[in-house]
Amino acid sequence: MSGSDINRRDFLKFMGLGGVGAATLSGCDMPTTITLEEGKEKVVAYLAPEEYAIPGIGVTFASTCQQCPSGCGVHGRVREGRVLKLEGNPEALNGKGLCQMGQASLQGHYNPDRITQPMARKGGALMPVSWEDAWLLMKEKASGTAQGRSAWFTGTVSGHQSVLLAALNKAWGSKDHYVYEAINNAVGSAVNEAVLGDATPVYRFDKAKAVLSFGADFLGTWVSPVHFSREYGKFRSGDRGVLIQVEPKMTLTGGNADLWVAARPGTEGAVALGIANVLLSENQVDGKQLPQAALDVISQYSVSKVAEISGVPGDTLVRIAGYLKERSPSLVLSGESAHGHTNGYQNAMAAMMLNVLLGNIGQTIEASNSMVFDELKAKQGNSKAMLDFAAAAGAGEYDVVFFMGANPVYTAPAHLAMADKIAKVPFKVALSMFPDETTMSADLVLPLSSPYEEWATSVSPYQPKDAAISMSQPLMKPLSVETRSLGDILLSMLKYQGVKDYETFEDYYAYLRSALDSLPASVKAGKDSDAFWSAAVQKGFIKAPSKPGSLKVSLGELDQGGYQTNGDYPMNLVPSSNQSMYDGRNANLPWLQEAPDQITKIFWDSWVEVHPKTASKLGIKEGDFIRIESDQGVIETQAYIYKGVHVDTVAIPMGRGHEEYGRYAKGNGVNPLKILSPVVDEKSGELATHATRVRISKVGRSEELPRLGGSEVQVGRRLVSTVSADVFRRTEGA
Amino acid sequence: MFVSNKFLSKRREKGVGQGKVSQSLAMFFLLLASVFVISAAQAEVPNAIPPTVTHSGEDVPQPIEFPHDVHTEENGINCLYCHTYARRSPVAGIPPSSKCMGCHTIIATDKPRIQKLTEYWENNEPILWNKVHDLPDFVHFTHEKHLQRFVFENEGMDVENVSEVCAFCHGDVKKRTVAKKVKPLNMGFCVRCHEANDGPADCWKCHK
Repeated sequence: MSGSDINRRDFLKFMGLGGVGAATLSGCDMPTTITLEEGKEKVVAYLAPEEYAIPGIGVTFASTCQQCPSGCGVHGRVREGRVLKLEGNPEALNGKGLCQMGQASLQGHYNPDRITQPMARKGGALMPVSWEDAWLLMKEKASGTAQGRSAWFTGTVSGHQSVLLAALNKAWGSKDHYVYEAINNAVGSAVNEAVLGDATPVYRFDKAKAVLSFGADFLGTWVSPVHFSREYGKFRSGDRGVLIQVEPKMTLTGGNADLWVAARPGTEGAVALGIANVLLSENQVDGKQLPQAALDVISQYSVSKVAEISGVPGDTLVRIAGYLKERSPSLVLSGESAHGHTNGYQNAMAAMMLNVLLGNIGQTIEASNSMVFDELKAKQGNSKAMLDFAAAAGAGEYDVVFFMGANPVYTAPAHLAMADKIAKVPFKVALSMFPDETTMSADLVLPLSSPYEEWATSVSPYQPKDAAISMSQPLMKPLSVETRSLGDILLSMLKYQGVKDYETFEDYYAYLRSALDSLPASVKAGKDSDAFWSAAVQKGFIKAPSKPGSLKVSLGELDQGGYQTNGDYPMNLVPSSNQSMYDGRNANLPWLQEAPDQITKIFWDSWVEVHPKTASKLGIKEGDFIRIESDQGVIETQAYIYKGVHVDTVAIPMGRGHEEYGRYAKGNGVNPLKILSPVVDEKSGELATHATRVRISKVGRSEELPRLGGSEVQVGRRLVSTVSADVFRRTEGA
Repeated sequence: MFVSNKFLSKRREKGVGQGKVSQSLAMFFLLLASVFVISAAQAEVPNAIPPTVTHSGEDVPQPIEFPHDVHTEENGINCLYCHTYARRSPVAGIPPSSKCMGCHTIIATDKPRIQKLTEYWENNEPILWNKVHDLPDFVHFTHEKHLQRFVFENEGMDVENVSEVCAFCHGDVKKRTVAKKVKPLNMGFCVRCHEANDGPADCWKCHK
């Protein structure tokens, strides 16, 4: 470039100033009318807004999440009359946090598949009707029902809706109220009640130095996961507690554990007994806490015998016992994968025995704060309710059944033939927000408002700190004028039934105001009616007095049943629950369908987890379609090869495979609950959800899994630095 | 230095009333003033270089042909009296019907537009206005910050002249009945003004 005055640096400067700059801005001058056109959108002015309402700026209101039975407090940000975002209520049990199911509950509220008006079955199909016609139909078919020939089938209910429901059942002379939850802790509660005299004691993760959990996914779905996650944080900080998880399929909690142990499904109790054996014989733990009968049973479960029964290596049992002995107090838990067997009760009992042996009762397991208002307490669901209901409905015991907050047609195993049994009930009423399987089989559908459109009170089943009544208030006006809250429908039915106590209330709001007014003066702390109400609504809950609890200890039967094998069906089926689809109720929320599974990273579809050894034996590769066959039926889905599952086990997540339930749920994936075998836990009568035996085979088709990432390794990029356990032990001396 | 029109006119009146300045000096001031008036026509707002690009938007019919000119130009009502949210919120907001009715239960009740407004009010029906100025959802624009910069934290700026700041993006609404888009409001328009007025240049200021 000799002879020219421009050198390289000047040239670049020139390009930077003129060329590039001009090019950038001219691109920015594209007319926005490509996407925006003047006058095509509406802007609605307020009529007469509240003083605090400023368009564009959110105002926060307290309410309560109803997406699972835990009942977390929420703060909803409301802007221009629309609720936009939920967060945890910092003062409530869950604290500032809210799980992804709670976050996604907004999509339930705004769901395009919501039922917006009453529907009645006419000529085989559900047709829209007016509320007048719906009430006429109720009068014709339901009000003359003979005593004892009507029943309610619901999910967990609590608070004042529960009071009204009880009053209504009384007025109708019906005692049958089935409370059903597919994901429950009923076996655990039964053992707690039997041993401690307290069905829901308080678990002090923050005080524990080691946690041994037999399938209790307390970070995912067990009892009160958001609260437990917070407590788990305390457990892991400072003197870092050790978490050991024993389960057939790695849950979210298992993924966080320091030691994850895959025991043969159903042998969790034997593992607990083996650990107790080591503690007593080798770790010099004093057995005087245990009755002689228990010590006799434990002495039969030597390390070698337990290793043979459970498939857990003996040295692992010794190591676990070592942790528990070293780190006191500890906390031993049991959850659904230990409970869902014919010996589920004994499994839970064996876990509780470890707590007694290690002296954890009163240390990390404390008495609950039982609220004095018994009528408001949560009626907790279990699966025995569904089995009992199926038997009663099948025997033609009911003329009228009301369904609310539960979807038994979807969650019931095929052997129960739930749809056929429900069809035998002459008049079925569903109170529902969505056209789920049970709702679509009803004769009359009453549209419910969303939890963010209604007044309600509720009481969390798990109350670790202070007993509290949670408040739900409408965060916005109902999206549809025809929907009604559960409280309003129950009140109307009570009035209709001519129950004197309820005649004076214009609506459920008026009833709630009066009910809160009648709380004892100690609760109201000297406030007048309006001040007390505003404080309750503002805070999101009312602190209620509680009875101080106490724990007794009386250990029950420990003996474990023999482990059953079945040559025809060599594998075990785990219908796993996760903090996403839950029991299937969240399948209509696209955020959760889209959010990858926490462990496998798969979305929008089902999968079956197969251990690499089993996979190589059968020649299965990731994405292959697999046929999973039990004595009750067959399902087909794609394989995900996964080390976090027991060799003889396949795991399929619950919640997908809906036949109804709106555009996002219908037709996606498979439902593992359908092929469950008809077995129950012998002691509690609960459905043994994890006791189904299956055989698997290749279908011969393969497709890529819908999965985020797609690679299990970092391809040498060291995105997350890791060190192998062997190297760590060698270098850190742990 | 920038001097607002209003300030200049007051000063001129005062000077004439005193009648003590010499002819040549008065002539000089007059010339000087006229220079100021001409330049002030483009620069009413101190410490600001207004955007100049224009756009020819469509006429947007509204349910009620709200006369901005009658309210502002003829009756001297400040923009922020009705669009009161602009100084506090990302959006300027349309005033609530209750604000209209605050005056119009008494004033001009014989006018057909007011009768239409009253009808809406009495039926408890909110008015569905047609949106004239809009930005794509991936643009985070806030009225509040712009009003802080050009009005409330702008030394020498009189809030009475806020309409001059509004006019940067909305044009001279004072001369019109219903609003019309007269500025392009695209990225080039925003970025040029940000460059001229030392506004933030980070991508994420607007695209968050």
